[in-house]
Amino acid sequence: MASVSLRGIKKQYEKNSVIKGVDLEIADGEFVVFVGPSGCGKSTLLRIIAGLEDITEGTLEIGGRVANDIEPARRGIAMVFQSYALYPHMSVAENMGFALKLAKVPKAEIAERVGRAAEILQIGHLLERKPKALSGGQRQRVAIGRAIVRKPEVFLFDEPLSNLDAALRGQTRVELARLHRELKSTMVYVTHDQVEAMTLGQKIVVLNGGRIEQVGTPSDLYERPANKFVAGFLGSPRMNFFDATLAGQGARSASVQLASGERVEVAADVARAQAGARVTLGVRPEHLQLARPGLEGGGIAATVALVEYLGDVTLVYAQVGESGDMVAVKTDADSAPPALGSRVELVFPATRAFLFDADGKVFAPGWVASTAEPVAQIP
Amino acid sequence: MSVRFHIMRSQVGWTVAAVLASVVLMALWLFPLLWALSTALRPEHETVSAVFHWLPQTWTLEAFTKTLSAGNMPRWLFNSALVAFLVTVVTMAISLMAAYAFSQLRFRGRSLLFGLAMLAFLLPFEALLVPLFRTMHQLGMINSYAGLVLPQVVSPVVIYVFKQFFDAIPADFREAAVMDGANPLRVLWSVYLPISGNIVWAMAIVTFIGAWNNFLWPFIIVTSNDMMTIPLGLTQTYDAFGVRYAQLMAAALLGALPVALAYVVFQRRVTQGFLAASGLKG
Amino acid sequence: METTTLTSAATQARTKKRADGRRESIPAALLLAPFAAAFLLFFLLPALHTFYMSLTESSLTRTSAFVGLANYATLVQDPSFWSSLWNTFYFALLTVIPLTVLGLVMALLVNRFARIQSWLQGAFFLPYVLPISVMTLIADWMLQPSSGVINHIVGGQNAWLSDVHWALPAVAIGTIWWTVGFNMLMLLAGLRNIPGELYEAAALDGASGFTLFRAITWPALRPVVGTALLIQLIASLKVFGQTYILTSGGPYNTSRVTLHYMYETAFTQSDAGYAAAVAMAFMFVVIALSLLARMVARRAA
Repeated sequence: MASVSLRGIKKQYEKNSVIKGVDLEIADGEFVVFVGPSGCGKSTLLRIIAGLEDITEGTLEIGGRVANDIEPARRGIAMVFQSYALYPHMSVAENMGFALKLAKVPKAEIAERVGRAAEILQIGHLLERKPKALSGGQRQRVAIGRAIVRKPEVFLFDEPLSNLDAALRGQTRVELARLHRELKSTMVYVTHDQVEAMTLGQKIVVLNGGRIEQVGTPSDLYERPANKFVAGFLGSPRMNFFDATLAGQGARSASVQLASGERVEVAADVARAQAGARVTLGVRPEHLQLARPGLEGGGIAATVALVEYLGDVTLVYAQVGESGDMVAVKTDADSAPPALGSRVELVFPATRAFLFDADGKVFAPGWVASTAEPVAQIP
Repeated sequence: MSVRFHIMRSQVGWTVAAVLASVVLMALWLFPLLWALSTALRPEHETVSAVFHWLPQTWTLEAFTKTLSAGNMPRWLFNSALVAFLVTVVTMAISLMAAYAFSQLRFRGRSLLFGLAMLAFLLPFEALLVPLFRTMHQLGMINSYAGLVLPQVVSPVVIYVFKQFFDAIPADFREAAVMDGANPLRVLWSVYLPISGNIVWAMAIVTFIGAWNNFLWPFIIVTSNDMMTIPLGLTQTYDAFGVRYAQLMAAALLGALPVALAYVVFQRRVTQGFLAASGLKG
Repeated sequence: METTTLTSAATQARTKKRADGRRESIPAALLLAPFAAAFLLFFLLPALHTFYMSLTESSLTRTSAFVGLANYATLVQDPSFWSSLWNTFYFALLTVIPLTVLGLVMALLVNRFARIQSWLQGAFFLPYVLPISVMTLIADWMLQPSSGVINHIVGGQNAWLSDVHWALPAVAIGTIWWTVGFNMLMLLAGLRNIPGELYEAAALDGASGFTLFRAITWPALRPVVGTALLIQLIASLKVFGQTYILTSGGPYNTSRVTLHYMYETAFTQSDAGYAAAVAMAFMFVVIALSLLARMVARRAA
């Protein structure tokens, strides 16, 4: 049983509180990704699971037993470091077999396990080489191989792809996914790259400032973010935010007054708020549409400032108001882009927008896919 | 390089001066040893003859053979070798362990203890002679190998150099080794030591040379001719040989030979070692 | 997985619960133990002992009555002490500046003639690795009145090492030959740290030769020279072996340096208490001087 359980985990350095109370359950065989901006505590949390950092408060359980005081090597885990940390004076085979040698595993068995891991990772021909004779991608595989050989219950990855170039990164992502399918082990993966998080994770944990913002599947987090931070963190280009005040409430919708003056409708349940409350409107670039001024009415006035052609899509950046922020709009690359400096109106479906209160918490979407029933509250 | 070449090229005068200076200085610096060699290769009566000769009129190795047979040279050479070897091995061992602890392990009072260890620079060894002598007396180690070796293994310089070096090694290696199940001693032995190979060699050679050349402590602790080390024994040669300069020079050269050889063979490491040690203030 | 306690230090370390790295206190204690034992036994305790002894009336083997600062009072009025101090400073003066200047010249030459570098560097540095007795034997031979080579070159039958005016300078010159390699090494390292681009930029600006030295080399080298001077100063003040062997402090104690005086007091006159006071006083002088030198250096920087 290779589950990991974090209860009330807090970590403090001197006066600095780095992890401020984390509760998380990771099931056996899950691929979980910790993601968040620099300094959010994701690496610290990983190192806590690894045993490289002490826990100030709280309980860590691995495979059902309390692991707070167990030495790293005895926790049934293995870690792949960001810099790979391959011992430079040892060959690939020796690197991979080092842990087993320390555990006094017989030589024959070491050779066999190293051989099998090398096969899985296709590095069998590199076993006698030293790390400095390997490319970055090869070194990374050796680092993974070193972890596999130990047959751990939980694999820990600390930003393993960040030292690879872009092409290699994509390729390795695919291989990591394949590895997970083959080994069926629990994997905890730390990254700052939301693309990696979205593609690899079965479950994503978004961290910010030492706390969990939200836990869920990629689609959970993308389509039903719990707060402004998560909404703005996932998705590229980032979700567009507009300052607004609550103007009126309907049965399952609200109308808000934007700072730039327009009034728009959003399908959200704002029962808990009062009229006039400060809110933030969030719309993803792919849900905004460009319309000619005056045609539809009720859109947000903006001026086209920048157009980026990406081949499959075109990104149009438009400026709202005099000194407003730039709003990103994702449009089809096939249709002709608007001219720079031209005035446009931004429109969006009411069911595709989010409202966040003054604390950043989301208002439950007032819409439901097919029925007319009120939607359940987001926990 | 080519730009500097042109710079220098344009100043022929400076180049000539530089060449001249190099030749003169090099000659001056090599002269004493060469003169000692010339003296040692001649029969004794030539050294004090009324007529001065730069080169031996008669070439002979008798000074060397006499030195090795009379007096206690062979014994002194053995003592020096043994003591220097032991000092080097023990110093390396305890310094590596201490440096690793200071560098990689976290424990209460770490910086305090390290600062204390580095304090040893301030106090000259000479000030500790009497208490050390007494301690050795109480331990019964006067005139013994243990007595010769032990006080020399305390080397804050070596610990400092190793600690600096260990600090610069990325912590990932240690963490990976910890995750592989290595205890701190094992991490030091299997990971840090191999990575530090060069600097350990450099400090080992420097320590060896220092121990070989140590005069003051053997001077205090040794009371019998048989236990003397080379630097000490050489000062005894006055009495042993009287005024026999060929033999004296032969003795000097023989005493210098091991360390000179060590330098010639390991020139780069020695240089590296002394440089690392000098990175220290005062 | 508790390990057995080995020392009381380890036990104390283990009971400190909240300290981060409490798991590391035991292995740390184990790794430090050998050095700690040696340090305690062969440095710390002797140092404290010396300090204590300076406040007593002691012989070489026995510590006797506590006399407070009496030894120090005697010290201040002791002409032998002051003359030894004077000799020490004189020696330092004779060696520190020549050593640094020569070291700089040698470093520049070695840097300039990079191709024959190891020969040049080897010639200058080799004396440094030799035992002190080798230097003294050769120096003594070369300075012999009747058959010494120096007199052959200079003429006459001068007994350099027994001459009141020349004894200390002669030892100083021998010391310069012996130790200049170390300074050269330090300054060479400093030279090599100067980025080549600085010279190239200056060359493009039309500078050459001595201007280059003044504008680029010297400013970059000044801190290293400062450090070298400081190290050299402290080392020179601590001279003992050369004068002891070559001149025995003579003639008439004109070359007796302070540490020699301390040694004599302790081992020849068996007045260990007074010797300890000399040692402590001298140590303070050395520390004071080096702090002063460092302050001056920092101001000039």
